[in-house]
Amino acid sequence: MTPLLSFANVGKRFPDGGREITVLDGVSFEVQRGTFVGLYGGRRTGKSTLLRLAAGIEAPDTGTVRFQGRALIEMTGAQRVRLLRGALAFMACGDWRPNLGESVVDHVAMSLGSDGLTVRDARRRALGALDLVGLSATSGSEPADSLSLSERTLVMLARALVREPGLLLVDEPAVMPNLGDRGRFYRLLRELASERAMGLLVVSEEIGALQGADVLMSISDGSLCSTEEQGTVVPLPRRAPSPAAARSERPGR
Amino acid sequence: MQGASTPLRGALLGLALERPGHGGDLASRLVARLGDTWRIDTNDVYRLLDQLVADGLLDAHEEPRRENRRRTRMVYRPTDQAESAMTAWMETLLPREPVRLGLHAKLAVARDQDAPRLLVALLEYERECLRLAQLVAPESGTQQRSWAALVMDCTRDAVWGQLQTDIDWAARTRRRINERMPVQSR
Repeated sequence: MTPLLSFANVGKRFPDGGREITVLDGVSFEVQRGTFVGLYGGRRTGKSTLLRLAAGIEAPDTGTVRFQGRALIEMTGAQRVRLLRGALAFMACGDWRPNLGESVVDHVAMSLGSDGLTVRDARRRALGALDLVGLSATSGSEPADSLSLSERTLVMLARALVREPGLLLVDEPAVMPNLGDRGRFYRLLRELASERAMGLLVVSEEIGALQGADVLMSISDGSLCSTEEQGTVVPLPRRAPSPAAARSERPGR
Repeated sequence: MQGASTPLRGALLGLALERPGHGGDLASRLVARLGDTWRIDTNDVYRLLDQLVADGLLDAHEEPRRENRRRTRMVYRPTDQAESAMTAWMETLLPREPVRLGLHAKLAVARDQDAPRLLVALLEYERECLRLAQLVAPESGTQQRSWAALVMDCTRDAVWGQLQTDIDWAARTRRRINERMPVQSR
């Protein structure tokens, strides 16, 4: 069966001063429909970069990222935008940007864009999505910028779900200050993904945020370690040490 | 008389104080309470129960089985000393247990040429931590905050915290070894 999302030997480098740093190195894994894949990693380990590559927001330097068997790199910019507004949803939990004075329901409805829907239909779908995440129609009429951090995260989830994606990418869900709210949010994510047979790829700095994952991976030094052998990348990266590091390690030899 | 001392011994005593039970019952309650990540061996449970009886904290009596009155089994009940031993255990400040013992020992005496083997062992350890994290049952996420739900959440959090620390440590150690290794030997 063709996986929903696949990474095949994906590499990504970024310039860092006069040299390049390798952020991802030979990363391979798959996300199947109805599967929850969790990726744990500390700060600056490349997990958000991996998610942006999965969403087609960035392109890999080496290897291939495929969505439903089709290489993202082969799509035009417009096709990738359509993908991000349809079959694939990207939710960066720290990225909350409603328009000034916009109501919650309009903020959710706006993500439907101009898909041939009337404003009324878009709002009706937005209210349905808000209901799914446990927010009432009353809170839908409130200004989006008056919400608490926990409510914002739920609205972002509604915004992602309203387009009925096949794959949901979630960047750092552990933002809610209240631990009880977090637990309920994680459960909601799992249940909604399971009910809708969505693929779910969640990255977090907290392993507890990935509870209930079907496949659990960790990332460090640009390489993956996975509970599934398939997602495992060699333990010996090909990256050469910086000349400075090599020099500093040499004395004593 | 010895106290509850080791974690499993103390937890078993606590469970017997909550409700007396036979060995199998106490073992399954222990697994349910602590989670699969503890990899509890039933034989160890019986050994610890014997110790608790020998130390005068539990009484063991043969009682007829509910399903077949002609057959008996050993039921463990707390003695008068159990309550104070449990309280003493709760008040004991535990030293940080030496974790990842095997890897720690290997690292301490590893030679240059052992670096590739260490990297593989560390990667396998990291994978094992991820597998253990998968075994932890997710939070129920319900609104009700009973004491039992709270202690279960805290137990879960303790396991995740430990596993996260170990994954970070394994990844950091692999990185340091990788940076030290000459390129041609990789």
